Amino acid sequence: MIGSGYFDGFGGRYVPEVLISALQKLDEEYRRLSPDPEFKQRLNTLLTTYVGRPTPLYFAHRLTDRVGGAKIFLKREDLAHTGSHKINNAVGQALLAKEMGRRRIIAETGAGQHGVAAATASALMGIECEIYMGEVDAERQKLNCYRMNLLGAKLNIVKSGSRTLKDSINEAMRDYASSSEYTHYLIGSVVGPHPYPTIVRDFQSVIGREAKSQMQQITGGLPSALVACVGGGSNSIGLFHPFLEDAEVKIFGVEAGGEGVTTGKHSASVVAGSNGVLHGAKTLLIQDFEGQVLETHSVAAGLDYPAVGPEHAFLNKTGRAKYVAIDDSGALSAFHLLSETEGIIPALESAHAIAFAVELASDMSSDESIIVNLSGRGDKDVDQVARLEGSI
Amino acid sequence: MSRISATFTALNGRPAYIPYICAGDPDEEFSLSLAKRLCDSGADILEIGIPFSDPIADGPVIQEAMQRSLKSGFHVGDVFRLIERLRSQSVPQPVVAMTYYNPILKMGPDKFCRSLSECGGDALLVVDLPPEESSSLLGMARDNELDMIRLVAPSTTDARLEYILSEASGFVYVVSVAGTTGERESLPESAISLIHRVSGKSRLPVALGFGISMPEHVRQAISAGASAVVEGSKLITLYSGLLDDRMKALESVERHAREMMAASFPH
Repeated sequence: MIGSGYFDGFGGRYVPEVLISALQKLDEEYRRLSPDPEFKQRLNTLLTTYVGRPTPLYFAHRLTDRVGGAKIFLKREDLAHTGSHKINNAVGQALLAKEMGRRRIIAETGAGQHGVAAATASALMGIECEIYMGEVDAERQKLNCYRMNLLGAKLNIVKSGSRTLKDSINEAMRDYASSSEYTHYLIGSVVGPHPYPTIVRDFQSVIGREAKSQMQQITGGLPSALVACVGGGSNSIGLFHPFLEDAEVKIFGVEAGGEGVTTGKHSASVVAGSNGVLHGAKTLLIQDFEGQVLETHSVAAGLDYPAVGPEHAFLNKTGRAKYVAIDDSGALSAFHLLSETEGIIPALESAHAIAFAVELASDMSSDESIIVNLSGRGDKDVDQVARLEGSI
Repeated sequence: MSRISATFTALNGRPAYIPYICAGDPDEEFSLSLAKRLCDSGADILEIGIPFSDPIADGPVIQEAMQRSLKSGFHVGDVFRLIERLRSQSVPQPVVAMTYYNPILKMGPDKFCRSLSECGGDALLVVDLPPEESSSLLGMARDNELDMIRLVAPSTTDARLEYILSEASGFVYVVSVAGTTGERESLPESAISLIHRVSGKSRLPVALGFGISMPEHVRQAISAGASAVVEGSKLITLYSGLLDDRMKALESVERHAREMMAASFPH
């Protein structure tokens, strides 16, 4: 017997024995349900009538003019229900949980976007929901904490370890180990043990499928490049995956460079990490010389994670996708730039992608085009940015 | 015959007491005194946990112990020196190194196994490494004459149980509950039935762990057919509040360990 769920050496299922049977069952159920026409129909109906899909592909002409170079298109995931792409996966997995007869959903959250999406999807399905959130994150995202309560979810504040996203995943996995018979763990990114990286990628790939056909309608062809931010990597893999076979499309994942990748205060696990195992998968992670996972930093809480989805580690290894880092100050400039030029306030996470797309576009010709995944809206970050800049 | 197998043979049916300690909590000197004390008091096998930053199989008590250890500057490689020092103090008991996979991967599985064997360690227990992922490590463990201890859980299916047992050596670690380490009131029914299932399929000794903290648990485990019990969180709870007076901390652990061992003798 060999391990399953690998992306050429990355991925796998590195978990305690107590979790194995639950993951095997989830894998079986997912493989049974995902091709089922009735399940697909139900999911599609929800994506259209509840989430608000398809989200627009918008030509950012004023930003393009300002930069001078390739045409910049924005995939407007910020316009999806709850304000980010997280809802695509949350609705998909909540439907899966419902079909599997689970009466409880648990989820981890960093910035709170996935927590809000999971609480929303649970309310939609009428399933009890508990969210794990690090004490540090809860402190900086108070409004999202209230949102989760409002949606009927119970919030569990995690006080162990670094009290951030990685610890809330640890805590959710511990909960799942003792409750998997009646609980579904609704993981929010393409991380974790097999089959999670595959399930989340499949549910997020709607982003890339739509973008591809929208681009064909607008320009009659494929984009020259794709750009998306990468924390765990769900919005990016969602955009990238339907384009992987299109060799002429360049793919760029943008990680959080924090205060600079040479300072040690960053979250760039592909750019500056090394091979390791965390949260059930072999992948790239930020660790010390003896394999202890290090604390990370980013101005964007949603990118503040020490590892990355195993499929990204694989795409990096094969060279199909390139990974770069944008630091806090670059993201903050892009946050302003997009707000001023297009009247769109991006999430700080997505602002990393905007910042790199601007650099990239200026080196390209106006015949070329770039799709940037605008993964979320920036309302949640306005307070934080105003404080950082001393405006309030 | 491995030192672990020889230990069980010599026990001749008497159940073994296996205390778990977290290496480096709160520092190496205390771990050494604690290990020595437990072995001198009659522990049969010693399990030494290597601290890891993200211990998903452990409850809050062991996680905090690991954090104290890491904070004190204890390094993964220091565990080999700890075991070596135990051996130099003539501690003969088999030592099982319990760890998560990432520190092994980072050091290099080959170097890890060689170092563990050279310092006097006897076995490896990697909590987040199911057999599907561990074929290369298993080979290296064998090359270095280390037993590979396998965990089985109440949710482990019969077919999977056979697969896991086919590669196990030393003893089989039965996880008593679906969940993490930590004290619990009583032994669940699932633990008892799992001991029966394992005994029916393997001749290896069965050790019951997770949630063991009272002499009554030992008696229940033995009457269900277990050959050993593993206890960890309770010992840490006992000493962690008494670290201002280390003699007292060690005495408290020893007193409890003796009660647990007394419960393992036939009446």
